[in-house]
Amino acid sequence: MVEWQQLLQSILLGLIFSYLLAKLISVVVSFKDENLTLTRARSSTDQVRPKSESKGGESRDEPSGDMGAVHDVDSVIAEHGSVRNESPAGSDDDDDDWEGVESTELDEMFSAATAFVAAAAADRLSPQKVSSDVQLQLYGLYKIATEGPCSTPQPSALKMAARAKWQAWQKLGAMPPEAAMEKYIDIVTELYPTWLAGLTLKNKGGDGDAPNNDSKGPMGPVFSTFVHEEESGNDFKMDAIHAFAREGEEDNLLKAIESGVSVNLKDSEGRTPLHWAVDRGHLNMTELLVSRNADVNAKDNEGQTPLHYAAVCEREAIAEYLVKQNADTVVKDNDGNSPCDLCDSNWPWMQHSANK
Amino acid sequence: MVDSNASSGSPEETPNPNPDGNAPSESDLTLDALARKVQESLSLGKKHKFWETQPVGQFKDLGNASLPEGPIEDPTPLSEVKQEPYNLPSPYEWITCDIDSEEMVNEVYNLLTNNYVEDDENMFRFNYSKEFLRWALNPPGYFRNWHIGVRVKSSKKLVAFITGVPARIRARDHVVNMAEINFLCVHKKLRSKRLAPVMIKEVTRRVHLENIWQAAYTAGVVLPTPISTCQYWHRSLNPKKLIDVGFSRLGARMTMSRTIKLYKLPESTVTPGFRKMELHDVPAVTRLVRNYLSQFVVAPDLDENDVEHWLLPKENVVDSYLVESPETHEITDFCSFYTLPSSILGNQNYSTLKAAYSYYNVTTKTPLLQLMNDALIVAKQKDYDVFNALDVMENESFLKELKFGPGDGKLHYYLYNYRLRQELKPSQLGLVLL
Repeated sequence: MVEWQQLLQSILLGLIFSYLLAKLISVVVSFKDENLTLTRARSSTDQVRPKSESKGGESRDEPSGDMGAVHDVDSVIAEHGSVRNESPAGSDDDDDDWEGVESTELDEMFSAATAFVAAAAADRLSPQKVSSDVQLQLYGLYKIATEGPCSTPQPSALKMAARAKWQAWQKLGAMPPEAAMEKYIDIVTELYPTWLAGLTLKNKGGDGDAPNNDSKGPMGPVFSTFVHEEESGNDFKMDAIHAFAREGEEDNLLKAIESGVSVNLKDSEGRTPLHWAVDRGHLNMTELLVSRNADVNAKDNEGQTPLHYAAVCEREAIAEYLVKQNADTVVKDNDGNSPCDLCDSNWPWMQHSANK
Repeated sequence: MVDSNASSGSPEETPNPNPDGNAPSESDLTLDALARKVQESLSLGKKHKFWETQPVGQFKDLGNASLPEGPIEDPTPLSEVKQEPYNLPSPYEWITCDIDSEEMVNEVYNLLTNNYVEDDENMFRFNYSKEFLRWALNPPGYFRNWHIGVRVKSSKKLVAFITGVPARIRARDHVVNMAEINFLCVHKKLRSKRLAPVMIKEVTRRVHLENIWQAAYTAGVVLPTPISTCQYWHRSLNPKKLIDVGFSRLGARMTMSRTIKLYKLPESTVTPGFRKMELHDVPAVTRLVRNYLSQFVVAPDLDENDVEHWLLPKENVVDSYLVESPETHEITDFCSFYTLPSSILGNQNYSTLKAAYSYYNVTTKTPLLQLMNDALIVAKQKDYDVFNALDVMENESFLKELKFGPGDGKLHYYLYNYRLRQELKPSQLGLVLL
């Protein structure tokens, strides 16, 4: 009897042992299959983390599976950031012959949502637990949206998680990808009502990098423009009235004159408000100043009149107006040049009045 | 003098041909490198999933002098190079772009004109001309299948582009057959699809199939790992237009009038014997340029065919001038610039910015400052709005004095599968990529 019991016991132990061994092997195998998710096994929503698209087929062992894969949460966020940042600039200048292959708003929204889910999983910023049912639902929708209807064989019953995911995918049948994307976004919005706001916030935070990366592209030349250098504070001085004239602020300028500021007040370079208005090309301001008895032949410290400025800056309408207001076309500056000498353009009224 | 060290064996034992080549600034460079490294780990730390898998200098190896210079990986047997193209997402397919075909060059031109590089504020976008593209892509010995397009299968629309052209590039004493990779462009609406890495891999594969294992390229972003970081400088030729379109700004205390006066140039060039380069000058210019470039650590190795292609003037593409001594008729100096217009986005008065880019400049008799001033004068005569130059080669010596102002653009130079022991100063670099 004792022998019977011992025999039974050892058979049972053997069975249990071999079951465990088989289980262990299957676990190892399934880990190997899913090595991409292994590292995130502890995070609450790991099962819905988008996995590498397997369209790359044989290129799975290639050094990088960059095609659409969500390897790296940060870079995906950055990428979506840059895509979103670009859209205002590039949205509507070349639409004409586009033929329906663009990544639509839905595409972008969807990939933003997947990125958000991945980020939420990684950061564990979800206070509430997402039920595994919902996780599976998201997983199924993700697969439909990215790969279409499920066509892979059912995983073995021992791989519980893989099988549950497969079922979640398979039961959605031939759902259209767009519908899957919309549903996915709906669920994410329900779970995290503020996810979009959070995303835009992150974009703003990363302003320094993202647009740069985007406009400069991953490789190639660079478009550079002048660095704007603030002039160092030398002893240059100007009054408010000069700034009003420079900026074309007529109301402020009138107030200044009414409060008693001279219309011919000079800045430290000897320029009057009229010089500044002409320099910046404000015809209205020029007329206003002249109507307030500004001196059309006032000279700056280099002996130049507003008409010199108009000639050098090729402000044709202003120059013509000044000449009509009896501005001197032949008066010489300290270098001996008259407005006429400095004028590269062929303005007949300038030559004409100079010849008189 | 031409490349006198070219045949000597070990780079370590070869005395540096250029006395101020690398010794004096070693500590500076190491500091720079360290600073960059810290900056990298803070801001860009995780962004290089792709480049970390590639045979390029890695950030973690910066300043590690024990690593040898030269190829990072040995060539693999050609039979082991992947024979089929990489997979694209199913709506797309690879094509080889025949840039000689009018139809194809139009497609490429349109893709680039609408989608290529912009400035930080999206006010300008490069607008390489078709003639420029033909010139840039069909140099001596070019491979047509290195001009790679991606198009939509259904509509046939071209949506992405990348190119390589062959070049012999010398790194210290070794002349290496390389590919120059350029014109990577993905349509704006497809940028979320991550096409760039697979395009880089595909062009790399096609380069490998020609038994070439190194490449040179530039980028505005920091990738692992620049061999040198250069800066753009700009010289206003038409300051009023540049200010009007927002390329430069007028300070609150500065007048337009004075700015225009500041940038005024003489009507005609000043150097006696300064004239346009012609076909019969090719041998003399080749000697001049080869000799000059030999002083830089990294520079192209140009023969007469290359010089004829890259440096002989082509209307609205590349301009070259030289100084022929009025007495001896010897060619003593040479300067060149290429033409790269940009679209001005959203300005009512102007649609195109015409920019000249300094290319290769050589002096033996004329002061470089004077030669470049003459280059500015001809550029102004030809109605360019701005003359741009990198601080490579000896350019720094004339930039400030000729009233170039610093740009906001940094250009990083890279070598693929080739390691240099340390980062180069721009003045050690003799290479201009288009």
